[in-house]
Amino acid sequence: MNQIVTTQNLSKRYGSKYCVKDINLSVSEGDIFGFLGPNGAGKSTTLKMILGLIRPTDGNVKVFGKDFEGNRQLILSQTGSLIESPSYYAHLSGLENMRIVQRLRDIPEKNVSEALKIVRLENQKDKKVGQYSLGMKQRLGIAMALLSIPKLLILDEPTNGLDPAGIGEIRELIKSLPKRYGMTVLISSHLLSEIEQIATSVGIINDGNMMFQGNMDELKNKSHPNIIIKTRNNLLAKELLSDKGFSPFYREDSLVFGNLTDEQVIQVNRSLTAANIDVLRIEENKKNLESIFLEITGKGRSL
Amino acid sequence: MKAIRLEFYKLRHKHLIVMMTLILLVEITWAFMATSMSISRNPEIARWETLILMLSTMNGLFLPILSAICVSRICDMEHEGNTWKLLLTISVKRWHLYAAKYMCACLVMLWMCILQVFSISGFGIIKGFDDPVPFLLLAQFLSGTVLANMVIIALQQWVSMAVKNQAFALTLGMIGGFIGLAADLFPFGIRRLFVWSYYSGLSPVRQNYVNEQMQFITQDISNLLPLMSLLSMSGVFIYLAGSIHISRQEV
Repeated sequence: MNQIVTTQNLSKRYGSKYCVKDINLSVSEGDIFGFLGPNGAGKSTTLKMILGLIRPTDGNVKVFGKDFEGNRQLILSQTGSLIESPSYYAHLSGLENMRIVQRLRDIPEKNVSEALKIVRLENQKDKKVGQYSLGMKQRLGIAMALLSIPKLLILDEPTNGLDPAGIGEIRELIKSLPKRYGMTVLISSHLLSEIEQIATSVGIINDGNMMFQGNMDELKNKSHPNIIIKTRNNLLAKELLSDKGFSPFYREDSLVFGNLTDEQVIQVNRSLTAANIDVLRIEENKKNLESIFLEITGKGRSL
Repeated sequence: MKAIRLEFYKLRHKHLIVMMTLILLVEITWAFMATSMSISRNPEIARWETLILMLSTMNGLFLPILSAICVSRICDMEHEGNTWKLLLTISVKRWHLYAAKYMCACLVMLWMCILQVFSISGFGIIKGFDDPVPFLLLAQFLSGTVLANMVIIALQQWVSMAVKNQAFALTLGMIGGFIGLAADLFPFGIRRLFVWSYYSGLSPVRQNYVNEQMQFITQDISNLLPLMSLLSMSGVFIYLAGSIHISRQEV
């Protein structure tokens, strides 16, 4: 599959601190690539470097297989984006804002009405953008990004400020873009639930470093279940099972085992009953994506 | 051309030209009232030179402030809605946008200067000055004022683009207005260091007092050329420095 965006050792340093360090991003054609990370992890900085808004300290960016430097005009003509907060002229109407982008991009008039229709702003198009709600401004930003029906769409936290219904609509819209227009979408978010529902591939960034990159299934496979066993005498049970080569640890009033096979579970149960230790409960605890994400990005941090 | 047209499109609903024309009309009314009063006291000065000199002097106060307002309104649109990101991701080049904004501000200010020239002509005709309309003097007045405007716009644009808070740019305009009005009181060498002093400095008419009598001295364009060249070079330098500085700023 064609690589639409690739970065090699992309880094950005402000002063002595690296905000982004050696990022090797790879987004395939037709993907909805979720770029996930806590606030301040370096998502926006990476996206800005991909769009040429800031210069990398090290590394390079290729979009559509071409070096960004030297092909800027061509790459940007086929890329739509919404970075951080939406950009707009508050004293102009939604339609006038769209016309500015239309004239700059030199695209037909019909795209304006189509883009407004896609984001359901056609009834508000004559209102001044200064009077729009945050959600409407966000939709206008997405409409501007979609105006040229680009091959690559880069959206930085596009659901910020939207109400749950709006989030749902934008989610469905983004999901439909690869099929409807053959677009590749690179979307960043700090909300795992958002990315989980729409992304086909995912990259997790934390403190400027790429912690994981792959498709959603690979991420889910990181979810090895724990086996939790509760007995009447956990202390004795731990000693006994440690002697038999298992390495359980305490959690609350239970013993927790890492990934055990079914055979190993049977063996543990037999050993305990043979030693007259009553087994009260055996549970399988599957980690959800959120736990994996927290594990990857550091448990103590807030999202 | 497309970029300049787009700058005017972006100015829709801002009523910039109407607002600036109204401020300019205040200046013109003030200048003409003062001239009328002087003429009624001393009918000998009922000449075109009196009018041109009066407006050149008052331009030192009004035009720096008007330039600051005009440039600030044109540049602030991009700061206000974070549109730099939008424009740069549509592959608009920063120096290109900088040039379009500069041209847009120059054209608005050119309209102000042309309005002054028409007003001078109209006032002189209504007052029944003996001499015919002095087209050469008016052309000299226009060129000097436009050139001073262009340099001041370059300076104001640099500040308005570099500093988001437009209070800085407007304050600079007001300081410029004060210097422009008081410039003729400074020693010659110091006066020329301030770009705002050139409204009166490039005026084709100067006044001189001989035996307590006011005399008008008409300056030939050739005498003003060195000063115009110096000012043009300063303008090019300020414009390029501003454009390069803004082009290197990260979003």
